[in-house]
Amino acid sequence: MNDVYVIGVGMTRFAKHADRDVVSLGTEAVRAAIKDANLDPRRIEAAYCGHVFQGMAAGQRVLAQVGLAGIPLANVENACSSGATAIREAYLAIRAQECEVVLAFGMEHLTSKFKGALTPDEDDPEAAVGLTMPGVYAMRARRYMEEYGTTREQLALIPVKNRAHAALNPLAQFQDRIAVKQVLESRPIADPLRLLDCSPISDGAAAVIVTSDAAARRLGGGRAIRLAASSLRTGSVEPEPTSMSFEPLTHATARDAYERAGIAPEEVGFAEVHDCFSIAEALRVEGLGLFGRGEYLLAVERGDASLGGRMPVNPSGGLLGKGHPLGATGVAQVVELVRQLRGEGAERQIENATVGLAHCRGGKAAGVDGAACTVQILTR
Amino acid sequence: MTTATNYASFKPAVLHVTPEGTGHLIGTRCPTCGAHFFPPRAVCSRCLTEDLQTVGLSDAGTLYTFTVIHQSTPGFQIPYVLGYVDLPEGVRVLAQIGVAAEQARIGMPLDLSIEPFGEDKDGNPMLGYRFRPARGSGAGTPAAASVKE
Repeated sequence: MNDVYVIGVGMTRFAKHADRDVVSLGTEAVRAAIKDANLDPRRIEAAYCGHVFQGMAAGQRVLAQVGLAGIPLANVENACSSGATAIREAYLAIRAQECEVVLAFGMEHLTSKFKGALTPDEDDPEAAVGLTMPGVYAMRARRYMEEYGTTREQLALIPVKNRAHAALNPLAQFQDRIAVKQVLESRPIADPLRLLDCSPISDGAAAVIVTSDAAARRLGGGRAIRLAASSLRTGSVEPEPTSMSFEPLTHATARDAYERAGIAPEEVGFAEVHDCFSIAEALRVEGLGLFGRGEYLLAVERGDASLGGRMPVNPSGGLLGKGHPLGATGVAQVVELVRQLRGEGAERQIENATVGLAHCRGGKAAGVDGAACTVQILTR
Repeated sequence: MTTATNYASFKPAVLHVTPEGTGHLIGTRCPTCGAHFFPPRAVCSRCLTEDLQTVGLSDAGTLYTFTVIHQSTPGFQIPYVLGYVDLPEGVRVLAQIGVAAEQARIGMPLDLSIEPFGEDKDGNPMLGYRFRPARGSGAGTPAAASVKE
């Protein structure tokens, strides 16, 4: 089987792009990735496009714009893991030696589809009684705080950290730092979560060029970053209710990725994780085994998870700071990992970064502990 | 007593209501290993037995966790308390909790309540379910209904 590398990355700024549509955003990101790879686009053999709400054949509309019509393309919907799943499809095509150069991109124009919080599918029996996505995480936050004795103020340190990171990322939706007090005084959404505990509604796109090791040697210009694992799991149906303060789904997906990459959690130097809500970041990193159970907020308090700390988490600003255009999110995480591992992190550069991890987790289906979860490990 | 009789909005059908207005939640039970599931499902996730039995679930449980929803979809009147209720069969049910927000506590005993719950697309009142503080638990008073009726 082929080893897999990333030789080109690109993304739009994440923001509320009222004057643009999803095709324009997707096109910008794809062209940026092709240019970053210094690649003749005719070398691209297949493409995968992750999106959630962009309608039929959205990916094909982008391909037509960038002169790539004719190659196989599949649109991939896997809730918030859609973009990451598109990358995994590219990874599998290369592992299977069907292709040598594959484009994976993700995109979403969410502001034209939603005004407030996203909700589960209306036919879901939990949506029928009034469940919202912030509500899911609010209930997990309450349970986590009760079990570990953590405070509302400690939880606010996560958006404060991620907004500080975003302020160093010119492509982030938010460019300003915030204080704990602002989080605590923001509008209540689902108690105990408030507005600044929630990722925003965003528009944006991101793209990566994924290749075989042979193609990376030929085309990579010495900047190729290895995609050492790209793992996907769906939530299991447990015959007994499980703890909501820990994530078996994230844990199982991570274990698969660590095994495939031959990497131990202790070797991971930094991570981009799916902080759709403040509490989510704690659940993710503890599920990934990067921090001990119930210990993450204390680590954030010490600065361990900040740029310059022991294990920077969400150096890009994360979903809370950079924004969360669903389909683009998982791809943008890999864009950040590649830039950090190449040493192109600019003001956000993590010193001696050699192993990075990206985690996405999305969707809600009644009776399972989560819909789709991805973990990708990249190494220099 | 309510005149609402339509509970078709709950898909899959998870609520059984008698003509007298009482009822219970519907789950499935695995005849092989005894596991219970809510919402009902076709195949046992523990032992993969098919042909699970449809069963009525207990009407009493305890509150595992909860939130107060301040922003929701159209049709729900905010704020409302929403929580996961653990039933003795080993299933966890999401439901609105008919309790004032400041009186909700993790671990509090609750009883199922069949009551008016919103409207269907034609504006007809529907029956649904909430959990309310168990009688004799001393917690809570009937909260304002949290769906537009």
